[in-house]
Amino acid sequence: MEEGAGEAPGLGRSAASKDFRFYHMDLYDSEDRLQIFPEESTRMRREGVQAEMTHEPMRGGVKGKAQRDLGEEVDELVHLYGLEDDHELGDEFIEENTPRIEVSEYPSYMMMGSEQRDWRLTGEAAQGEDLGFMGWGSVGQCQDLREAYRYSHGRASEEYECYVIPEEEDEEEAADVFCVTCKTPIRASEKDQDEHKQHEVTPLSKALESAKDEIHKNMYKLEKQIIEMENFASHLEEVFITVEENFGRQEQNFESHYNEILETLSQKYEEKIQALGEKKKEKLEALYGQLVNCGENLDTCKELMETIEEMCHEEKVDFIKDAVAMADRLGKFLQTKTDVEISAQPDFEDQTLDFSDVEELMGSINTIPAPSAPVINPQAPNSATGSSVRVCWSLYSDDTVESYRLSYRPVQDGSPGKEQTEFTMTVKETYCSVTNLLPNTQYEFWVTAQNRAGLSPTSERAVYMTAPCPPIIKSKEIRSCEEAALISWESGNLNPVDSYTVELSQAETPGASGVTESVVGIPTCECLVQLQPRQNYTINVRALNVGGPSARSEPATVHTTGSYFPLNEHTCHPWLTVSKDGLTVVRSESRGPTREPVPSDTQFTRCAAVMGNLIPVRGRHYWEVEVDECLDYTVGVAFEDVPRQEDLGANRLSWCMRHTFSSSGHKYEFLHNKMTPDIRITVPPKKIGILLDYENAKLSFFNVDISQHLYTFSCQLHQFVHPCFSLEKPGCLKIHNGISMPEHVTFY
Amino acid sequence: MALKQVSSSKCFGGLQKVFEHDSVELKCKMKFAVYLPPKAETGKCPVLYWLSGLTCTEQNFISKSGYHQAASEHGLVVVAPDTSPRGCNIKGEEDSWDFGTGAGFYVDATEDPWKTNYRMYSYVTKELPQLINDNFPVDPQRMSVFGHSMGGHGALICALKNPGKYKSVSAFAPLCNPVLCRWGKKAFTGYLGTDQSKWEAYDASCLVKSYPGSQLDILIDQGKEDEFLSDGQLLPDNFIAACTEKKIPVVFRLQEGYDHSYYFIATFIADHIRHHAKYLNA
Repeated sequence: MEEGAGEAPGLGRSAASKDFRFYHMDLYDSEDRLQIFPEESTRMRREGVQAEMTHEPMRGGVKGKAQRDLGEEVDELVHLYGLEDDHELGDEFIEENTPRIEVSEYPSYMMMGSEQRDWRLTGEAAQGEDLGFMGWGSVGQCQDLREAYRYSHGRASEEYECYVIPEEEDEEEAADVFCVTCKTPIRASEKDQDEHKQHEVTPLSKALESAKDEIHKNMYKLEKQIIEMENFASHLEEVFITVEENFGRQEQNFESHYNEILETLSQKYEEKIQALGEKKKEKLEALYGQLVNCGENLDTCKELMETIEEMCHEEKVDFIKDAVAMADRLGKFLQTKTDVEISAQPDFEDQTLDFSDVEELMGSINTIPAPSAPVINPQAPNSATGSSVRVCWSLYSDDTVESYRLSYRPVQDGSPGKEQTEFTMTVKETYCSVTNLLPNTQYEFWVTAQNRAGLSPTSERAVYMTAPCPPIIKSKEIRSCEEAALISWESGNLNPVDSYTVELSQAETPGASGVTESVVGIPTCECLVQLQPRQNYTINVRALNVGGPSARSEPATVHTTGSYFPLNEHTCHPWLTVSKDGLTVVRSESRGPTREPVPSDTQFTRCAAVMGNLIPVRGRHYWEVEVDECLDYTVGVAFEDVPRQEDLGANRLSWCMRHTFSSSGHKYEFLHNKMTPDIRITVPPKKIGILLDYENAKLSFFNVDISQHLYTFSCQLHQFVHPCFSLEKPGCLKIHNGISMPEHVTFY
Repeated sequence: MALKQVSSSKCFGGLQKVFEHDSVELKCKMKFAVYLPPKAETGKCPVLYWLSGLTCTEQNFISKSGYHQAASEHGLVVVAPDTSPRGCNIKGEEDSWDFGTGAGFYVDATEDPWKTNYRMYSYVTKELPQLINDNFPVDPQRMSVFGHSMGGHGALICALKNPGKYKSVSAFAPLCNPVLCRWGKKAFTGYLGTDQSKWEAYDASCLVKSYPGSQLDILIDQGKEDEFLSDGQLLPDNFIAACTEKKIPVVFRLQEGYDHSYYFIATFIADHIRHHAKYLNA
C-alpha cells in the first residue's frame, strides 16, 4: 500500500496479485468518495497521477516478455482481453485486468461491501495511490463499470444518490432544482441569482430521473460491450490456437523436408567421394604399372648396351659369334615397340554433378504431402435446375490442391443388381456445375483432391437432387369465381416432389412480368388462390424439391368475372355428350334408351345428367343455361354425393328446376325431395339464370331475357354443391358461365 | 289541394302517415296512408301504390300487412288510398259490402247515381299520383302498383291500361276476370251499366289481349285454400291463359294452405316489395 501500485509488478508476483484485488476495491471506493469532493480538484489530481502511472504496466509487460517465448506472450494477450483460464494465471498482469471485464468476478467485490465504508475513511496518502492505479486503465471505463455493477446488484439508493449529488449541498440548505446548463443542483432560491438566472432549470427529481435513465442506458451499453469483448476474446483465443497449430505443423513439415534434403545431399556426397577415390586408385595403379614397365625396359636397354660394349672389347672370333647373336637379340628387342603413351590422364573426366533430385526436393519443400479428404457440402437450397446441380466442397485450409476429381452416379432406388454408370470430372475450383442430368433425380457425389504429392482419400458421399420438371396446369379444369380460383395440375415428374408454388400476376400489366403474388408450400397438385374480382390473371406453377424450384409451367389464364366451372365428364350420362369447349351438353336423337348403363358412384345412370365442377367457395355464384322452349330439361344444383341412380330433385341432395313440355303446355317444377310448389309461368324462358347464394342459403332461378324472377329455394347447404344439367329428351343445353351477375338478380 | 295530416308514426326508421284531403275526382273528403322510408329524408324515392280489397280503408293494409320493413329497406314510398268515396249520401251506398262504400272497384262509373263520385280509377291513376308527386319527395317517373283481391284487380287494370306508366305490378289473390264473376258482374252492372263490352275495359284478362306488349313483369300470389278461389270469384287461370297466349310475363304462385286473409298477404309481402324494388330501383 505504501508503494505506488505500478511498482508491484516488478516485485514478487504471488504477493502482488493478492494486493491487486485489494487495490481494486480501494480504487472503487476512493473514486466514489472523490465524487463527493469539488470537481476541479478531483480531476486535477487524477490527471496528475494518471500521467505518471500509465507506463508502469508496460514495463512489467516488457520484463515478462523477455522471459517468455512467443506462445506465452500470445497467451497473455488473450488473457489480457478477458479470457479466463484460471490455471494459467501466472502473473499479476492478468489478475488485475480480468475483473474489469469478467462480470462473474463482481460478486467477490460485493462481499466486501462492508469494507467500503471503512475505506472512505482512509487518508489522503492512500487516495493518491489509488488514483494512480486508476490511471493505469481508462478512468471513465472503470467508473462506468462500477456504476453498472452497483446498479445491477441493487445497491442501496442512498448510496447511489450520494454518488449523483455532490455532497457540498448537504452542508447548506438542500438543493431542490437542477441547473441544466451548469449541470449542478441548486436551491430554488439560487435560481434567481446571477449565475443561474439565464439558465434552464428542472426540478431535481426530474433531473435525477434523467440522470438515472442516462446511467441505465450506459450500463446497458456497457453490458453489451462486455459481452462483445468476451466473445471477441474467445474468438481471439481460437485464432491463437489455430495459428499455433498451423505453424507447428508447418515447422514439422519444414523439418522433415530439410532433413530429407540433407540426407539426400550427404548420400550424394558419399557416393561421389567413393566414386572419385576409386577412379583415383585406378588411375594411379595404371600409371604405376606403366612406370614399372618403363623401368624394366630401361634396364633391358642398359643391359644390351653394356653387353654390346663388352663385345667390342672381345676377340674377333668371339666378337663375331656374339655379334650375330647379339644382332638377333637386338633386332628382336627393337622390334618390340616401346610404349611411351601415358595410359592414364592426370586430369579427371568432366564429371557433372546431378542435383536435379535435390532441386526437386527443394522445390517441393512447400508442398504438403498429399491433401486430406475434401469435405463435400450438402446441397444448397435453390442451387439446382432440372438438368444440373451445383456441387460444392471444401478442404482443410492448409492443404495445397491442384485439382479435384468429382465423381457421381444416380442414386438407385430399386433394382440393386443393376450397376449405374459412374462419371468423373476434374475441376480446379471447389465447386462444379454438373449438367446434363435427369430432372427430379438424386445423384450421389464424392470428391478427391490431388496435388503433385498424390491423391487425397475420398470425401464422404453427398446426395444432390436436380430440380423437378415444371408441372402441367390442367387448364381445362380451372374453376374460378370472383374471389378465388381453384388451380390443379399434373406433377410432370415421376418421382414425388416436395411442394409446389403457384405464382400469380395480373394480366392487366403486361410489361411488368413481375409476380404479384406467390402461394408456396402447396403439398398437393391443387390450390385455391384468393383473387380480386373482375381481373385477368396469368398463373404459373413451379414444382420444388430440395434442389430447388422447377422452371415455370406453361401459363394458364383466369378471369375472375362471375363463376367459371368446367363440366365433370366423369359424371356424364352415356347418352350425353359434352362439346369440346365443355359448355354445351347434347343428347342426340339416335341414342335411344336402348341399354341401361351400369350403376355407378360417379356417372349418372338414371337421368341423362352431367355435373359441373363449381369452385368450393362460399359466396354467390351465377350462371345461365340456354334452353329450347320445347325441350324437357332439369337444371339446378346437387351435392357431390347425390345418388347417381336417382332423378335430380328426387332427393334431399338436389334442388332443381324442371321443365316438361306437352300438348297441355309448359310445366315448370321446382323440385327438392320430389316436391315442388305450384307455380305457373306464362313466358317460357329461353335462358335460365341460376343464382346460388351460400350466405343466404338460397338458390334462385330467373328468366334472363326479361329479368323475371321465377323461384327461390331456401336450402341448407351444409356442404358445397355443384351445378347439374339433365336432358330428358334429345336436344341441347348451352351453359354460360364466367359471366357477371345481372343487376336484377342482386335483389334475390 | 291542402293536405291535412291525420296521423304520423315512426316505423322502421321512416314515418307512417295518414292524410286527408278534398278529392276533386271523388268530390268528397278522402284519406290515404303514405309511408316515407328513411331514404326519403335525403332524396326522392320511387312510389308504390297499394290498392286494397273490398270493405277496406287505408288502415287495413298499413296495420296488417307488415310491409314497412321491406319498404324501409328498399327505400320505397308506399301509398295506400281508401277503396271508395265516403259519405257521399248516395242511395244504396251502404246497402252491401260488395258494392258502394268500400267497393269502388277502381272504375270510373258512368251510371247514375254513381258517376259523380265513384271515379276511383281516375283517382288512383291521376289525382292521387299528382297529389303525391306534388307533396312528397318522390320520383314521378318511378311508380308501381299492387293490390289485394279487388285491389289486385285494380292494380292489374291500372298497369294494363297504362303501358309504361307503372314499372311493375303484382297482386295477391286478384279478381282476374271480373266480368265473369259475381262480384264483378254486380259492380260493373251498377257502375258501368249493362253493356258488357264496356266492362272489358276494366277486366284484366280482357285487357291483356289488347296489351301492346310493353315490358311488364307480373307477380301473382294466390292462396290455395282461398274460399273465393274455389268460389270462382278470382279466376286466375283465365288471366294466366291470356298472358301465356300474349306472352306477357307472369309468375303465378299457388301457395299451398293459404287463404284470402292479410295473414296470407303478410307472408308474401316482402317478396312483392322486392319484386317492385327490382324494377323501381333498377
